[in-house]
Amino acid sequence: MYKLKQILFLTLIIITFFNNAFSKERPYYIEQLKATDLQTKSKALAQIIAEKEVIYFPILEAINTKKIFLYQNRLVTLGKKHNENNTTAYELIYLYPKKKAVVNNSSKVVEKLTNLKALKFSRKDRLSIIPILPFINLTSNDSDIRKLAYSQFQNKIDIKNIPILEEASKLETNKELKRYAKETILAVQLFETNKSSKQIELIKQLSRNKGDNTAFLLQKFLDEKPIENQVKIQVKKEISILKSRASRIDWLQNLFSGLSLGSILILISLGLAIIYGLAGVINMAHGEFMMIGAYTTFVVQELFKIMLGPQIGDLFFWVSIPIAFIVSGFFGLIIERLIIRKLYGNPLQSLLATWGISLVFIQLARSVFGDLTSVQAPTLLSGGWHIAPQLVLPYNRIFIILFTIIMVILTFLFLYKSKYGLRIRAVTQNREISACLGISTKRIDSITFFIGSGIAGIAGACMTLIGNIVPDMGQTYIVDSFLVVVTGGVGNLMGTIIAGLGIGQLTKLLEPVFHAVYGKVIILAIIIFFLQFKPKGLFPPKGRIANE
Amino acid sequence: MKKLSKKITIEYVIFLILFIAILPLGYTFGLISINTISLWGRYFCFAIAAIGLDMLWGYTGILCMCQALFFCIGGYGIAMHMSLSTASKGSYGAAIPDFMVWNQVTELPLFWKPFEYFPLAIALGVLVPLVFSSFFGYFIFKSRLKGVYFAIITQALALAMWLLFLRNETMLGGTNGLTNFKQLGGLNLSESSTKLTLYLISCVTLILIYIGSKKLVNSKFGKVLVAIRDSESRIRYTSYEIKNYQIAIFAIAAVIAAIGGMLYVPQTGIITPGRMDVKASIEMIIWVALGGRGKLKGAVFGTLLVNFLYSVFTSVLPGSWLYVIGILFIVTVLYMDQGIIGLPKQISKYISKVKATKV
Repeated sequence: MYKLKQILFLTLIIITFFNNAFSKERPYYIEQLKATDLQTKSKALAQIIAEKEVIYFPILEAINTKKIFLYQNRLVTLGKKHNENNTTAYELIYLYPKKKAVVNNSSKVVEKLTNLKALKFSRKDRLSIIPILPFINLTSNDSDIRKLAYSQFQNKIDIKNIPILEEASKLETNKELKRYAKETILAVQLFETNKSSKQIELIKQLSRNKGDNTAFLLQKFLDEKPIENQVKIQVKKEISILKSRASRIDWLQNLFSGLSLGSILILISLGLAIIYGLAGVINMAHGEFMMIGAYTTFVVQELFKIMLGPQIGDLFFWVSIPIAFIVSGFFGLIIERLIIRKLYGNPLQSLLATWGISLVFIQLARSVFGDLTSVQAPTLLSGGWHIAPQLVLPYNRIFIILFTIIMVILTFLFLYKSKYGLRIRAVTQNREISACLGISTKRIDSITFFIGSGIAGIAGACMTLIGNIVPDMGQTYIVDSFLVVVTGGVGNLMGTIIAGLGIGQLTKLLEPVFHAVYGKVIILAIIIFFLQFKPKGLFPPKGRIANE
Repeated sequence: MKKLSKKITIEYVIFLILFIAILPLGYTFGLISINTISLWGRYFCFAIAAIGLDMLWGYTGILCMCQALFFCIGGYGIAMHMSLSTASKGSYGAAIPDFMVWNQVTELPLFWKPFEYFPLAIALGVLVPLVFSSFFGYFIFKSRLKGVYFAIITQALALAMWLLFLRNETMLGGTNGLTNFKQLGGLNLSESSTKLTLYLISCVTLILIYIGSKKLVNSKFGKVLVAIRDSESRIRYTSYEIKNYQIAIFAIAAVIAAIGGMLYVPQTGIITPGRMDVKASIEMIIWVALGGRGKLKGAVFGTLLVNFLYSVFTSVLPGSWLYVIGILFIVTVLYMDQGIIGLPKQISKYISKVKATKV
């Protein structure tokens, strides 16, 4: 019993001793950083730099970027910016012992700069950090900087860096970067071992890790290191596996971008095809209805900002989609009533008139909104879906594809299952007979134009996800979507979908082989060739309407 | 003699007095600047292209949206010749145009070589559009593409070609196009006398092409074209090979446009892909539509009027031009089917109609 007490007592002493040693030792330098005396400060800094410990890196980074402050006698740096009542305030982040947001009563502390005491360091001190900057960048807040830092270690291989790399990779939260860090560590180990069995083991691990640069690193290893035959074979095998995987992923990525381009084309052509099928009007201003939809989204965003302040969240985008439909549809209705109504049965004339309309719309948008505006994409749709290493599908593209599917289904239901759809189809087939049967063809024309232009407006709202809003944005895709309508056949929903997907897919499949421009020329040639056999498109109208 | 005097109407007299007499004389007396002369010279080139388009659209009923493309092919032909003849005097002293030096090209590309010789350059400037349009036209007209379909395909062609000319690899100067010409056939392009000569050549060419086209549309060939426009199926039933007529007029229009382009480039001193995009072709359609399609004088008048208005509006009210042209276009299409040339007839018809209803 006595012995046990003695042992316990001894351990207690030992623990307190070490505890003191550690807890005094390390924060000791940190405490000294807060000193007013410049010499003490730079001495402490020099000591911290010499230790090169991951735990200090946030402090060093803050010193280097001049964003180190004292808050309640603890070291903090600035986080997210808040703009309120014309004053700028920041969230605060503790730098030591771990990066952590400063919290008070479970809400983040936001302070103005004037309430914080800046810690000043001389230029010489800041310069002394630069040699270890690559290490510091490993723990940076910005994932791009972290990635760059790892790539620097891939280029300058040194076995001494391994402990720091391992420490940093443990802190890494981003999945992709974690893989990148592992790749870096393995590569450094690989380059610095001379034992064949160990080399093979590392090569296998590298390959299994499926990092971005693995093929390149292995090739470099093969070229630069004198290695045994057996290892060489292994390296070559892994390189070929990785390369075939990379080409498969490229192919999948192309397939996906083709799908996404195809659905954009379908979304734009949908309204065009309905209007063309019904009225025989090629609406050259269709792209401008799209532009109107995009600007509507922009206006909705600005209105939300006025009403709710700068933090508007995602809601505005979802609200703006139906509004874009209504606004664009309304413009279409006006244009139909005022101009196009007078030109039915005269397709070339209406083509030219709508071109005139599009010129006026473009100039109108330019004088109202200026040349370049953009909508901030919903946070829900930023980033992408990491299906596998290196295979990332952006959420906004996925959204457009899904949205197109929904729109196609809705249009289909409208045209084939609703009362008005039946009437629209009847007028499309034979205007006179429909009129005889009591369908108000004028009303049907207006409805069709409203729906067609409205769908273009929705397409425009979606386009704000993938690009800026400019007055002539409608012109970018419009010629392509004309081709879709022509290739698909007059006013045929199915033809439009197949032609849209086909042209989109073909464009993206040709792009890697030829340049995008030559790809476009080839597609035009293919379409002209195709029209030799099917001059009325994929699904030509049948029966009597086919003649005129 | 009587026949001739009957043909010469007041419009022709005004045109000749204004452009052959007053403008050059005004210049020699120092009342009109050489820039104005050159400006009208360029408008004549546009008018030449518009005549071709009018024969295609107004007479045959084919709406072509790539007339500016052929205009530019001709223009590029002559521009290539001019850049080669001034190449050795360029900033680098190399035997190739400056832009090739920037693109690290050391040797002249093969397809540039024939353009070193002036007659060959002219011949190619006509031949290339001829062959190209016949080839393209063959495939399009064979499959009986017409109306809106034809318009869209030609529009896509204009877009694709425009993209192609924008590239640097095609060795045609990319976005900047070809510029900085010094001389043409021994004449210094910056001298006023050369500019006056080019103006007169353009004017005479316009008149010649106008007379030639007038003869063509009044011939049997021209009658068939109008018949195709008015009822394609009927003319097909009377065993005319419509396709051949269509290809022929398409090629003729292309060649006429190319001639216009060849005269245009020495006068502006620059040719860029911007002149051949979809917008440029549709602008040409505006000229014809506004002047009065189906009438060659209409095409010429419309071209001169719209371009004159353009220069006025861009200097007086910049930014308003797109409104003006867009609204002009809509109004023309809606209310003036015959264009401005046909306006008096339309008004007199309307008046007589009103009178008839009153009685």
